[in-house]
Parts: sequence; C-alpha cells; structure tokens
Amino acid sequence: MELKDIFYNKQDFVETASGNKVSRSTVLCGSQNIVINGKSIVRDGVIIRGDLASVRIGRQCVIDRHVTVRPPFKKFSKGVAFFPLHIGDNVFIGEGSVVNAAVIGSYVYIGKNCIIGRRCVLKDCCMVADNTVLAPETVVPSFAIYSGSPGLHTRDQPDCTQDLMIEFTKSYYQHFLPNTAPPSSSIFSTNISSEIASVS
Amino acid sequence: MANLQITVGAVVCVEAEIRGDVRIGTKTIVHPCAKILATGGPIVIGDANIVEELATIENKSPEPMVIGNNNVFEVGSLVKAKAIGDHNIFETKCFVGDEISIGNGCVFGAGTKVTPSQAVPDNSVFYGQPLKHRLAGERPSAQTLQIDFLSRILPNYHNIINPTIKREIPALPAEKTS
Repeated sequence: MELKDIFYNKQDFVETASGNKVSRSTVLCGSQNIVINGKSIVRDGVIIRGDLASVRIGRQCVIDRHVTVRPPFKKFSKGVAFFPLHIGDNVFIGEGSVVNAAVIGSYVYIGKNCIIGRRCVLKDCCMVADNTVLAPETVVPSFAIYSGSPGLHTRDQPDCTQDLMIEFTKSYYQHFLPNTAPPSSSIFSTNISSEIASVS
Repeated sequence: MANLQITVGAVVCVEAEIRGDVRIGTKTIVHPCAKILATGGPIVIGDANIVEELATIENKSPEPMVIGNNNVFEVGSLVKAKAIGDHNIFETKCFVGDEISIGNGCVFGAGTKVTPSQAVPDNSVFYGQPLKHRLAGERPSAQTLQIDFLSRILPNYHNIINPTIKREIPALPAEKTS
C-alpha cells in the first residue's frame, strides 16, 4: 500500500547532514545529550528530554506529533538515577504517545496515544496498539502485540515484521516532502500560461 | 493584576506556561512546558510537588485552588480539581474534572478519566479502562530524592525563574476568563 504524501513547510523543519528532519517547534531539552542517527523524522510538538539522561534514536525512525520521549527514573537506596533511553532503527511512534521506556528495540510500532510506562523494555519487531497503557517495567517480547489498559499480550506480529517496518518507515520518509512546490493546479496553470507566452 | 510568587528553593523553568495568580511553595519542581493556568481564581501550590511537562493545572472557578505537599503531576495530566491534599499522584495523561476535592494519598492511574460523580476517599487508587477503584493500604511515598536530583540537574539546562520575585504576566483577554 502506498502512503499518502505528507507535506511540511520547509521553513518549519531543519534537515541535518545525515538526513534527519526535525521540526523547529520541537522541544529538545539538553540537545547535547540527544543523538538521532540519521534519516529520522521528528515532527512538531515533540518533547525530547535529553536533560534528564541521554537519548539515542536510531536510523529511519518516525516520531509523530506531540510525542513525549522522556528517560525513566529509578529510585535506589542512595538517590535516584535517570536511565539513558535507547530507541533502535525503523521505529514508529504515533501521535500523542508518552514514551518512558528504558529500551526500545528496532522495527517497533507504537500507536497513537500510548503510554509506555517507566523502564519498559520493548524488544525488536513488537507492536503496541493505539491507546495502550503499558504498566511500569513491562517487557514486551519480540513479535508481540500489546493492547488495552493495562496493556496485555493479545496477538502476534507476522514473521515478516522487520521487512514491513523497514518498508513503512522508508516510505514515510520518502513521502514526507517539503511544501516548496506550489499545489498541482497552480503548476498546471503556470505551465499553460508560460506555454501561451512562448507560443505568442 | 496577575502575579507569580515563587518561594526560595523551588525550581520553575522559564519555558513553563504560568498564567494568573500562582504561588509556588519551596522545593516544588515545575518542568518546562508544564502549564499552570489560574484563569479564574488563584492557584496555591504547596511544597515538594513535581509538575512534569505538558501537565496542566487549571483553576477556572473564582475560588482559590489549594494544592498540598508532595504531589506528582506526571506528563500530560490535566487536573482541574477544587482542592488537592498531600501525597497524591496524577499519572501520565490522567484527567481529573472540576468539582472534585481530593484528599491525601490518592493515585490517578495513567490514562484514567475521573469526573465529578465519584467520591474520592483518602488513599484511593483509580486505574484501568473501564475505570476501576480500590483503596490502597498505604499512601505513595514522597519523591524527595527525585526532587533533589531534579533541582540539581534542571538549572544546568534551563533558565529558572528567580524565586520571591514578583513577575508581571500579561492579563488574559476577557473572553477566556469567563
């Protein structure tokens, strides 16, 4: 299935040398602790809390609008520590989700409005359905689909999930286009007018 | 005239959105992008509370909203309660409607929506969808260690509003206050 083109205003996004597209309206706290490895999209309204602990995001990830990525904390006998948050490659995080996980593997799909509790571990190729609430310290095994509140293992992913996620995030990146070209109707009219001008 | 009073020891990030009459007690942490909106009456926040990013505390009624000590407002929670006691936890993306007075030691679970019809005794725990309610044996512990950590870390990365200094905030347009 072909994804629809998503257009963005070029002045609202920053494109880095490694191909990351990061909206200017994201809140990146402690940006020196945030590593985004390349070809990832971070859309508007996203909050990434690099000030609490380091955040590493792999290649070709998509972080949709209004997602909060926040390293989790753990209480020890002496003080608390915020754990670094690692997100693998080809991960999709849907709109409005709050990610408090410790580790997210590669090829993971997180739906809309999910809450990933503190220190959750999401293994490779798993999926969290829309509106799921994962309790703290949940471990989501590979190829599992979790849904509900509290999130439970309901179904399994197909074996080809890795390829599907690579294809999905890749085509999302390819269809995430700057809005520099005028709408198609106006291209048409300008072409006609220029042709008319050249004919005359 | 809207004003903001912050007690010494509180850490309030400049990026937080604070409107109207708000008083913040000592050791309270307000993360960036948190919202404290006293659009009606004033909001008085006690000591050692944590207000995380995107958490919204709103008071639309003309009466003051008094929040006790050691409460945690997690990411994306929306709290409009009349009054809040001590040691409560408002988990991620929970919603607490107006007309509720919350006592002590209550936990509002992630993604729950608690509206006026329910009474809230002390040590209540709300969780799950559909909403379930139980009583906890003991109240959640204070986040003192986390507060110490955050008050050390946050000033390194954010601009902090100076305490005890009254800051002028532009008053809201009249139509929003109704």
